[in-house]
Amino acid sequence: MLSQEKNERLTQVGPGTPMGNLLRRYWWPVATHDMAGRVPVRRRLLGEDLVLFRDASGRLGLLAEQCPHRRASLALGCTERGGLRCGYHGWLFDADGQCLEQPGEPADSTFAARIRATSYPVAELGGLIFAYLGPAPAPLLPRYDLFVWPDVWRDIAHAELPCNFVQIMENSVDPYHVEWLHGRYGSFLKELAGEPPVQVVTRKHVKVAFEVFEHGILKRRILEGQTEQDEDWKTGHPLVFPHMLRVGGGGIATFQIRVPIDDTHTWHVWYQTYRFDSPAAPQASVPVYRVPLHDAQGEWLRDYVDGQDICAWVTQGAIADRSQEHLGRSDLGVIMLRKLYFEQMDRVAAGLDPLCTFRDPALNECIELPMERDKFGGAQAFRQMWLRESSIRYSPIRDELLARFGAVA
Amino acid sequence: MKVGFCPACGARLDAAASFVQEFWAGADCHFLCWCAGCGAMCTVAISPRLVSSEPEH
Repeated sequence: MLSQEKNERLTQVGPGTPMGNLLRRYWWPVATHDMAGRVPVRRRLLGEDLVLFRDASGRLGLLAEQCPHRRASLALGCTERGGLRCGYHGWLFDADGQCLEQPGEPADSTFAARIRATSYPVAELGGLIFAYLGPAPAPLLPRYDLFVWPDVWRDIAHAELPCNFVQIMENSVDPYHVEWLHGRYGSFLKELAGEPPVQVVTRKHVKVAFEVFEHGILKRRILEGQTEQDEDWKTGHPLVFPHMLRVGGGGIATFQIRVPIDDTHTWHVWYQTYRFDSPAAPQASVPVYRVPLHDAQGEWLRDYVDGQDICAWVTQGAIADRSQEHLGRSDLGVIMLRKLYFEQMDRVAAGLDPLCTFRDPALNECIELPMERDKFGGAQAFRQMWLRESSIRYSPIRDELLARFGAVA
Repeated sequence: MKVGFCPACGARLDAAASFVQEFWAGADCHFLCWCAGCGAMCTVAISPRLVSSEPEH
């Protein structure tokens, strides 16, 4: 168990909180590329209400939602060449938040020069739009490998989940859940549906290990029948601090990105790359799709791996009550992650950069992360299972993926 | 039962920045502790009895 006070410290992400201060030192996906157009859109990130827009000259802007004038929502605004004009009284703000025009004020007024909307830097990378809500100078937007590889296909899935982001991150350092939630419970659901049990994810964990390294926590496992020579142990895969899991195998590599909307909601993004055996023509743009959460009866969808994960996360409660939990030795990865968050909060409080802050462009051209190719001891079997049992099953390019990978639907 | 002070420097571990996490190993209650004051990380085990073993010699 964790004390109530420390649980709050771990899970509160708003401005001025220790975790909020830590998380504001990172760039966060705030939208997919297709969301940012001439029509301003509301977004919420780290407990702050924001408006994202692309002005008529193509420049992206991210402003606090309420207009500095009379607090109307800037989502009800007009995008123009110079920025975003409030729909209420016509005040015009550029992407840096500077007020440029106040049509109702006298022509010789200098009032506009003294008014700024709260604005945040935004940047596009790999089909996502990232925002930085922290103090200047902003670190570099990390160019992680999946975002910048030139020769892969991509798609982006997303869903808004009604729970705190930390319990989702904890799942990424909890290897044992795979054989139980996805193996045993997943097979139980298949049995009820009259289908054969799931494959690949049912093998017993013999040994797991966690290691804090430069990108977060490296996770290794040995499954029954494996040795330390298998890639699941030799290479492993990382939790990328503070907000991503890197997972995949057999030509598929995914970032599961957990974006805190506020203390009780998380925007979950599955950012997938596909590397085929034979070259494929480049995509015109990255397909984006929503992952459904409920079936026709309003029940949580849980007949596939990602649905089972989502079910576990949200049923822990909007914020898991860690003062009532009972951890054992199999939870040491979870404990290590919590300790790492506390340690990094303390670094920020001391005025230092936290883990995974990048400021040297030479080290940021392509940040390669470790990940086993033969996941669970077999690339082909994993890929076959993942195309059926992950959120990829909702991808608009799934049929093409199946064909190119030679997989069975 | 809880661990209130850092075994390395004696600072209070219930200070906001420090971290104490209880977990169980059989009958033993363990506390993983990280002290924000001195940076020490350790595990304190509260055991119902002491079990010692003598290595082969």
